[in-house]
Amino acid sequence: MLEVTDIATAYGKIEALKGVSLSAGKGRITCLLGPNGAGKTTLMMTIAGILKPRRGSVRLDGEEIAGLPSARIVSRGLALVPENRLVFPQMSVKENLEAGAFQRARDPAIAEDIERMYQRFPRLKDRRDQLAGTLSGGEQQMLAVARALMSRPRILLMDEPSLGLAPMVVEEVFRIVGDLNRDGVTILLVEQNAHLALKVAHHFYLMEQGRVTFSGEPGKLAEDEVVQRAYLGTRRASA
Amino acid sequence: MIDLIQNTLDGAMVGSSYALLALGFTLIFGTMRRLNLAYGPTIMAGAYLGTYASLRFGIGALPVAIVVVVGAALVGLYVERLCFRPFGDSAAIASMVSSFAVWMQIEEAATLLLPRHLNAFPALVAGPPFTLGPFLFRPEHLLMLAVATAAAGLVYWALHHTRFGLGVRTVIDHRRAAEIVGVPVERVLMLAFILASAIGGVAGFLIAATDHQITPMFGMWATTKGLIAMMLGGLGSVPGAIAGGLALGIIEAHMQWAFGPQVRDLIAWGVLFAVLALWPGGLMGSRRLADAAAVQRRL
Amino acid sequence: MDDFLIGVLTNIGIISFVALSAYMLLLSGEVSFGQQAYFAMGAYAAGMVTAMLGWHLVPALLAGALVGAAAATAVGSATLRLSGFYFAMATLAFAEMTRIAFELFAFRIDVGGTPVGPNGTDGFGDIRYLFENGITPLQYLMFVYALLGLVLTGFFVLERTRFGRALRQAGADPLLAELQGLSVVRIRLLAAAAAGALAGLGGGLYVHLLTYIEPASFNIMLGVHSLAYGLIGGLGTALGPVLGVLIDIGVLESSRLFAGYRMIVFGGLVALLLIVRPRGLLDERAVHWITSHLKRSMYAAGRSGLDGSLRRR
Repeated sequence: MLEVTDIATAYGKIEALKGVSLSAGKGRITCLLGPNGAGKTTLMMTIAGILKPRRGSVRLDGEEIAGLPSARIVSRGLALVPENRLVFPQMSVKENLEAGAFQRARDPAIAEDIERMYQRFPRLKDRRDQLAGTLSGGEQQMLAVARALMSRPRILLMDEPSLGLAPMVVEEVFRIVGDLNRDGVTILLVEQNAHLALKVAHHFYLMEQGRVTFSGEPGKLAEDEVVQRAYLGTRRASA
Repeated sequence: MIDLIQNTLDGAMVGSSYALLALGFTLIFGTMRRLNLAYGPTIMAGAYLGTYASLRFGIGALPVAIVVVVGAALVGLYVERLCFRPFGDSAAIASMVSSFAVWMQIEEAATLLLPRHLNAFPALVAGPPFTLGPFLFRPEHLLMLAVATAAAGLVYWALHHTRFGLGVRTVIDHRRAAEIVGVPVERVLMLAFILASAIGGVAGFLIAATDHQITPMFGMWATTKGLIAMMLGGLGSVPGAIAGGLALGIIEAHMQWAFGPQVRDLIAWGVLFAVLALWPGGLMGSRRLADAAAVQRRL
Repeated sequence: MDDFLIGVLTNIGIISFVALSAYMLLLSGEVSFGQQAYFAMGAYAAGMVTAMLGWHLVPALLAGALVGAAAATAVGSATLRLSGFYFAMATLAFAEMTRIAFELFAFRIDVGGTPVGPNGTDGFGDIRYLFENGITPLQYLMFVYALLGLVLTGFFVLERTRFGRALRQAGADPLLAELQGLSVVRIRLLAAAAAGALAGLGGGLYVHLLTYIEPASFNIMLGVHSLAYGLIGGLGTALGPVLGVLIDIGVLESSRLFAGYRMIVFGGLVALLLIVRPRGLLDERAVHWITSHLKRSMYAAGRSGLDGSLRRR
């Protein structure tokens, strides 16, 4: 469903992505692992249209979306749950959800979808008039996911959903990831927690220093080697 | 006691225009985190166009109002395109200095259009002041209060009950998150800027119509009043802008009555300075807005 | 050199002091719209010292600088913890308060039969020190530029000291600077004091050139202009603000081009310039380019010298 080919993104003179290619299959959970600074968030931001790539292509169901403004990419069916949640802190839970549906303009089904989100995430319903900035980390994570779902995306990008959350909350987050996928949502997931990610992934990639260095299915590579490379990167032989 | 209430009433009525000025400033600052130094001059440009239309074509007050508001909105678009859009999220100081350069442009253009220092501006209502009990009311002040309240109410409605308003509030709250959920941030910024300039135009029309005149000093005057009122109420806060404007009007009315115009201005600035030194968040705004701006700049 | 040109050049030199004052604060990361307050205080103080106390020009200028520095330190202590826009507004508020205060301030004493001293909105005149001591416009011009030269040398040296680097760092990335152990507030306070001194010194020079000052001259326009000079001329070097003053006053005041449309044209050019050069003509990149080219040509010249083989650099 999502084909990323040779994407290169730079911050000024610093090349964060040096030609990344990967694909996320329809209805599957694809994981992106790698140490800090590998460029995983940069890649997510590029795909979502927040950053513009220097070269390369991103195709969503065959349509080219690289270089499009982020608003258009959302309307094409791609939604990002960003690193650090990034909820609208001074707006209520309900308003956050409404904001997620911004590209759907005056679609009457928006109200129904909000109700559906309340059903899937009961804790959000309890807090629906509360300011999002006052929610706990786990609640904000759910809000961020629900908000992204409000745009009825074909594919959901999730950037480090377990970041900064307590283990029990992390389990709940991954349970939600599994549930969403069972309901048919395609997911591209960036995770630091390689152990949990490999449990849900159908396919995974390893990124190091702006490049994809491994692609395969869980079990193909010995898990401890994956974990080591995900957290520490490959040991480079000194020249 | 009667004087106290009279001054408060008068101050609140004049303050309603200040509130509109502050509202415009706040809309721009809240969305862009930038000070638009050309804001007052933008309003003046609209007012001058209205004056020119009234002198040249003899049209009445209401058509002049339309010219003023539309004129201010168009000049606002010019300022946004030249001074703010090209800089994106960086170079805050450059965009401020650029808006200052446009301030200079507008002042000169205004004096070229109407070379006389004092220019007659059509009045909104013609009628003598009347008394209600022990208090004196001027019809033009009452109208100013009514129109300003209506305009502020319209803005509030737009912000909370339209899709555009939702977009503006998301950009004010967290610009990056707004981008991510699919809000067309650049378009929202431009429209918010135009709206802010139009609101300023309404304020400018009300003030000029009440004073029956317009001078080239209006640009600087409107900028300083709008800035003080906005800072009093809290940078980037819409209800704060209104509170700040009313507060400024009331403070000025009392100070003018007690000490005369110079001390009045001295105290207005003094109150602002004190508020900044002691409560940088203003009456209703939040400190985190400025801090967040600092952090966002770093990112 | 005719008197008009001397007058313009002296003006450029003096206004450079205010421009450098705003520049200094900008380097430390604060935007000030209010340096004209210290310019005014310096002008009034220096004028009072020569015209009312009858003292020499040098202590008058010192007084101006000290008054500027003291006031700036006081204001800075109250406001420097404010960030960005709040600080800018506070400086503007203080400057306007100063201006209005001078409108209300009158203090005249009898000097040789006539009352001399600040007189509210009517201003402060009869500051005839230069005339009474036979200092010609040309001599004063050289004096002003000698002082300016000293100040610019000071900036040049500063850029190469640890404080200078700390200053730029506090301006470029205060969060990082704090993490590295620098006290950003203290750096900015020192910068504010120095900036106040510069503005005050400039004010002292100003009042003696004009022989008459009034509060209206020290308005918001002057404040925003002083900031703009640095942005136009460039923030990469202290020569930047001076260049900005030169361009604005020099080209505009003395050319007959675009009479009546000057501000429209100039304003438009400035706005366009800032789009391509948000940090001015002589921004950090331009300065780096120029200095590395200079070094290269000096190096090449040195190597081709007769005793080039003996030189290590």
